[in-house]
Amino acid sequence: MGFIPVFMMYAAGWRRSILKFSRSSKMAALRSRKVVELFYDVISPYSWVAFEVLCRYRSRWNIDLQLRPFFIGGVFKETGNKPPGLLAAKYAYAQHDLRRLADFYKIPVKMPPMERLMRRENVNSNRLLTAVNLDCPQHLENLSRELWMRVMSRDQDISDPASLETAAAAAGIPSGTTPQLLGRIRDDDVKAALKDTTNQALAYGAFGAPTIVAHVEGTPVMIWGSDRFPLLAHMLGERWEGPLREMAKY
Amino acid sequence: MAAPARKSVEFFYDVLSPYTWLAFEVMCRYQQKWNIDLKLRPFFLSGIMQGADNRPPGMVPAKATYMGQDLRRLTDMYQVPFNMPSNPAEVMFIKGSINAGRFLTAVDMNCDQYLEELTRQLFLRIYYRDEDITEPASLMAAATKAGIPEDLAKQLLSTIKDQAVKDQLRQTTQAALDHGAFGSPTIVAHIDGKPQMFFGSDRLELMAHMLGEKWYGPLPELAKAKM
Repeated sequence: MGFIPVFMMYAAGWRRSILKFSRSSKMAALRSRKVVELFYDVISPYSWVAFEVLCRYRSRWNIDLQLRPFFIGGVFKETGNKPPGLLAAKYAYAQHDLRRLADFYKIPVKMPPMERLMRRENVNSNRLLTAVNLDCPQHLENLSRELWMRVMSRDQDISDPASLETAAAAAGIPSGTTPQLLGRIRDDDVKAALKDTTNQALAYGAFGAPTIVAHVEGTPVMIWGSDRFPLLAHMLGERWEGPLREMAKY
Repeated sequence: MAAPARKSVEFFYDVLSPYTWLAFEVMCRYQQKWNIDLKLRPFFLSGIMQGADNRPPGMVPAKATYMGQDLRRLTDMYQVPFNMPSNPAEVMFIKGSINAGRFLTAVDMNCDQYLEELTRQLFLRIYYRDEDITEPASLMAAATKAGIPEDLAKQLLSTIKDQAVKDQLRQTTQAALDHGAFGSPTIVAHIDGKPQMFFGSDRLELMAHMLGEKWYGPLPELAKAKM
């Protein structure tokens, strides 16, 4: 029957137009992705919450999530702020708060003793993350997550090179690369990059962690903490759909 | 079939705290939506700070700057009328809230049906119209706007230095400290026989989850405070 070939030619034409349209709107979408910077430190439990939430929303929102490992110690020093967990009432509250947030978000976060978080040598973790971000950024997300699993779920060390070697392996970093990466912790350019990222956060007005900076219509909007996602969604013109537990990596 | 019992939610607060204004308005909106019995518990923030050895967050300059922006953005989104006072340090750290706290306590003890609206009117004074909340005339003006009959308001105002009122404010403050409070608001939801303490205005979605209730966001369409 003549109608079917005509219909198929007609449909093929439609399909080409639709493909052309969707490719160009994909291009437009890529161009218009809003940059969202996440400044974080692995000794900050609420940074882990923000990290997981933003990783889940990366595929839902039209954003370009940029991970920025920084040094919260430098932020506290510069601003005169202090770790909240040093106050007994706040530490006790954080234990309850994180237990409830762990259930709500399906992230195995558990507040460790402050002594674990206050070790000066923890800066080795920040420097390792910085080195990875410089040399092999494809591993940054997994390594960040593995460092949090150690310090913020299993109360394990993240300051000693042996600990960091274990974390790197668990994060899937090839064992051949790891010794060199660990060596980079002492390099001047790595120390400078960590300082630089920290100063960038300070320039945005940071005083704590996590510090999220959303670039909306050319203006940077700084948001502190892991409890402003509905506001962030509102500012990005997106929708907050809750904790998205079904996307948990745990 | 009997309706399930309302869950008790205690809202410990001081009108001196701007984030408390947000939390108060949202909780009042949710009274209509959730199966809860919202109990307003006016306390004394200065007493909480002392008891918990805490300091007001605004004492870190970068935090104070951030809070101003944060409050503006949130109050816009939540449709809560808000203006930062022209001299926030004077309002928060010097003038304080002892008289307001005692007056709210006196109203709670005698005619608590006015407590919600009096709270609202005091918040509108301090955090919308930049007006005083420490002088007797200021408290009378708030009481009148809250619909408290003039004679009753005058009588309650005359009791704010009475031992009974001071003691009650102190007891409410201590009750909050016993729940682990270190600031305002301190919300205690009684869930499955256990008190769950939530600090601040940003745990309401989590609290909804634990209460087994649905979270609809800040519900600006149910706003009671009009500009």
